[in-house]
Amino acid sequence: MEHLVYDIRCGDFTGAGAASRDLKQHLKRIGAESDAVRRAMIAAYEAEMNVVIHAEGGGRLEAAVSDGQLDVDVVDQGPGIADVPSAMREGWSTASAEARALGFGAGMGLPNILRNSDRMDVTSALGTGTRVSFSVALRPEATDQGARPSSLGVIAELCKECRHCLVACPTAAIRVRQARPDVLDHLCIDCTACIGACGPRALTMTDAPGALGGGDVLVVPPALLAGFGEHPVAAVVEELRGLGYEEVLSVHRYEDALRRAVIDLAATGDAPAPLISPACPAVVNLIEVKFPSLLDHLAPLASPWEAAQLALDDRSATFAVSCPSQRTALLAQRPTAQRDTVTAGAVREAALPRLAARAPHVAATAASAPRGCGADDLLVVTGVQHVLAVLEAVEDDRLPGVSAIEPYICDGGCFGTPLLTEDASVAAWRWGAVGGDAPGDGASSARTRPYRARPGIRLDADMAVAIQKLTRLDAETRALPGRDCGVCGAPTCAALAEDIVMERATRALCPYVRPVEEESAT
Amino acid sequence: MRLEDIARELGFTELTPEVSGARDTDIDRGYASDLLSDVLAHAPEGGLLVTLQVHLNVIAVASHAELAAVVFAGSRTPEDDVLAKAAAEGLALYSSPADTFDIVGRLYALGVKGNHA
Repeated sequence: MEHLVYDIRCGDFTGAGAASRDLKQHLKRIGAESDAVRRAMIAAYEAEMNVVIHAEGGGRLEAAVSDGQLDVDVVDQGPGIADVPSAMREGWSTASAEARALGFGAGMGLPNILRNSDRMDVTSALGTGTRVSFSVALRPEATDQGARPSSLGVIAELCKECRHCLVACPTAAIRVRQARPDVLDHLCIDCTACIGACGPRALTMTDAPGALGGGDVLVVPPALLAGFGEHPVAAVVEELRGLGYEEVLSVHRYEDALRRAVIDLAATGDAPAPLISPACPAVVNLIEVKFPSLLDHLAPLASPWEAAQLALDDRSATFAVSCPSQRTALLAQRPTAQRDTVTAGAVREAALPRLAARAPHVAATAASAPRGCGADDLLVVTGVQHVLAVLEAVEDDRLPGVSAIEPYICDGGCFGTPLLTEDASVAAWRWGAVGGDAPGDGASSARTRPYRARPGIRLDADMAVAIQKLTRLDAETRALPGRDCGVCGAPTCAALAEDIVMERATRALCPYVRPVEEESAT
Repeated sequence: MRLEDIARELGFTELTPEVSGARDTDIDRGYASDLLSDVLAHAPEGGLLVTLQVHLNVIAVASHAELAAVVFAGSRTPEDDVLAKAAAEGLALYSSPADTFDIVGRLYALGVKGNHA
């Protein structure tokens, strides 16, 4: 049971509402249904305001969140209510002129609590005070309970425990304990942040043997085609075909098609603004885990890789993906496609000797506009910190004038994948210089799988258990020093507190925590 | 009708330009009251409130009642801290020189109705 206590001061009209607001946050954290949260908030706010308006001695709001139910007790040292049945009638009030001037004292507080709760009691004694208690039934909000698949690979023996991945991960999904990184699947969004931060390559992507086995089509990212120095795209394509493929297809034609479709959809005015492009599957995962309120903003379109897979359904295709999220998206759309993906890095390794054997090419020097800047009404955002900042701005409605956003987790977009060696800006420039950025002829596709909120931050699927864990989480967080040093193997003290509650770790992992006896003595 | 179109038609002054996303919100319900408990009890979710009250608690009440916008009648304008709080909560605020009766009448003519219409 989660137990919360708030002191309420009489006459504090400015600070009023703080208790009910905080209570709301707790109810959201345990995943309570939004209608129940709204009813509970209205009832709690009215009870809180009664103390502010009437009780000179102040009062206290105590809330207990237990299995499926919120119980609230508001006790004050006020004048008491002479006639409780009258007070329960709408319009009956004894509020002061000051309170009435502010719009309180409508004589609806207690009736409002009654209407928005499932049980209510009022006991009052003149000159002593009043107790208002009520309960609201809590049902869990529906979400997708399925575990998230991930294509991130861990090679434990390469880990040097530098812990750089802890800080790099945008969802605090990594722990480094027992000399190896562990990834919490329910939080991981399949991006490349940890791969880029991991010097010894313990966090990476791996390929099944024979993954580059030849076939009808090899689908590749522009970054791979532009990743062989001054060799032009035509030469690279020729050597990639030499690996056993009839055709080599750049995924940029589907990227361009998606971009046009997103801009067109945004221009119709029928979509929520700003419209968010699903070009980067890791961003989609991030929104599903951390920004469920933005799911409506995601354009209902397939990512470029998924669109390519749909378009090539009747041919044997190998997809040379440049990040884990692309592979996971392909596997989610076609579960049988396990052996049909290969990392772009592995393709580059295989093609490198073939290209090295060719005569060096004299570079063309075509100038190229930076990627994504073709459309004025499209905001392209790359890099995880910038993506987080922009998504928060969208959530808070702070992005006037932006009709569409194309966010990428990797710095520099897909050119910035750490699985290829060229720097993002150089690769993007070279892509233009080698003539690869001619308009493609791909088509966009409707999305085959709906966007679903994922309960990444929820503590437990069972609300009753989540409540117990939330109580312990508060206590554990207070017991930790707040240094966020990472020595325990978690990125922050809050993450360690959650690990303790979820039984992934113990408090003893913290080098700074004081023994319990000493703490209670101070 | 879109909030932005309503505001233009009725000559409202926009007080929270930061909450630009709300301009596209479709408004078809409204409520008028200066009693906050009454607002909590009866204002329709996603609707618009016309009120004389300009203090901080209006924002808390509008947020709890999940209203989309508040119009202050009689040219009343809240303090900066109230505007900042509304912006943080994503609540759009407007001001109008007209009185509550006239504002509601014009809103009704535009198709913004009450709970029981």
